[in-house]
Amino acid sequence: MSDWIHRFVVPPAIIISAGAIPCYATQYLTVEQAQKLCFADATQFIAADVTLTRDQMKAIEKDSGVHVRLETQKVWRAQAGDKYLGWLIQDEVLGKHEYIQWALALNSEGSVRQIEILDYRETYGYEIRNEKWRAQFTGKQHGARLKLDNDIQNISGATLSCRHITDGVKRLLALYELVLKR
Amino acid sequence: MNLCSNVEIRRCRPLLGTYVEIRASGLCEAQLHQSVNSAFAAAERIQRLMSAHDPRSELSRLNNEAVCRPVAVSRDTFSVLRRATALASESGGAFDYTIAPTLARWGLLPANLSRNNPGGWRDVRLLPQRQVSFLRPLALDLGGIAKGFAVDRALELLRASGVTAALVNAGGDLRAFGRQPYLVHLRHPSLPQSFTRAIELNDSALATSSPCFTECRWRGKRVSHLVNPLRQTAITGAVSVSVRARQCWLADALTKVVLNAPALADQLLARHNAEAFVFTA
Repeated sequence: MSDWIHRFVVPPAIIISAGAIPCYATQYLTVEQAQKLCFADATQFIAADVTLTRDQMKAIEKDSGVHVRLETQKVWRAQAGDKYLGWLIQDEVLGKHEYIQWALALNSEGSVRQIEILDYRETYGYEIRNEKWRAQFTGKQHGARLKLDNDIQNISGATLSCRHITDGVKRLLALYELVLKR
Repeated sequence: MNLCSNVEIRRCRPLLGTYVEIRASGLCEAQLHQSVNSAFAAAERIQRLMSAHDPRSELSRLNNEAVCRPVAVSRDTFSVLRRATALASESGGAFDYTIAPTLARWGLLPANLSRNNPGGWRDVRLLPQRQVSFLRPLALDLGGIAKGFAVDRALELLRASGVTAALVNAGGDLRAFGRQPYLVHLRHPSLPQSFTRAIELNDSALATSSPCFTECRWRGKRVSHLVNPLRQTAITGAVSVSVRARQCWLADALTKVVLNAPALADQLLARHNAEAFVFTA
């Protein structure tokens, strides 16, 4: 006889109050940590931030088919002594509701070397942006953000697609081609 | 006494179509990063082999050629196909990995996976020397099992590298091991801002399937990435199924059996020493 139990949990014991908006946030890596992980041999990371002109933004959009939202982009050139190793670009893309910070490392010839998520945050509940839905909680911490504490570290539920990162990679590869490459 | 025993690192990369998070502890930080890098690489390899979206994947080669001639595949792909076929058979098709043509018709998979009068899982032949052939035109989608398998592979690699505790979470399909259980919270489909009480994971896996966040419309009908193969209809509505099992590929695949054939589920869950958590509105 197996020790199996087939449990139906309806309704669940809800531990977050309905009035607050739960926010899940994790910092995985700082930019400095990501730099070292992506380029273990590098001795220096030279800041080379990019401010895009209107024409450059348009050109990137045309080349990648992805909308360019930010005018300035944080970029570092990785070097081992004088030897040029590649680039690290910090960027953000929309998750479900919040922006996810991430870094793209490029090899010296412009191919993708590594992708790392730096900072992930998410608010839960797609109704949250819906004013009518929110109205029902008026007076109960309306719009308040409840940071999920250490009790909630792992979540299982519907899967969040990473399509926006895929688009972000296309956009940054176009930025490399049009602006960084020489 | 290991001085690094209290260090835990958390990393996250976009992989398997979602965000894959890995937590690991029990080694010094530099070694942990190395182990986690290898684990990500293992998951990435499974993605390269078994993605239905990637035209260069081994699975795409099967989908293109296996109806014409037997195609040899890697050990991992063959292993997933063997497990998928066994579960399809055990569940009378409630778990089905040949639903790609339906998903392609709804615009949820590339259009080149559409087939006229497609065959089913009974038309997949697993031959000696890891060769695969199709008896009729069909297209495979391992989305219901390969993500779990990738989590298993990543976790096995972490364990072999000397890490003493780890958790791999691929967008809600996860597996953990360690001295202390990891706590996992489930989301409720009709109250997405809420979480349920925690489920403990200790050397076990948990996977969730729910159409609630992926529903869209096709010709006025509601469709989702979850198909009931017995009826060829989409599973929609506020339902969510989580399964806890020893391995993540099994948990992943069993969620579909519970969704599609609740009457069969008890027996199959028992046979595989698994349990299900079902939420309805």
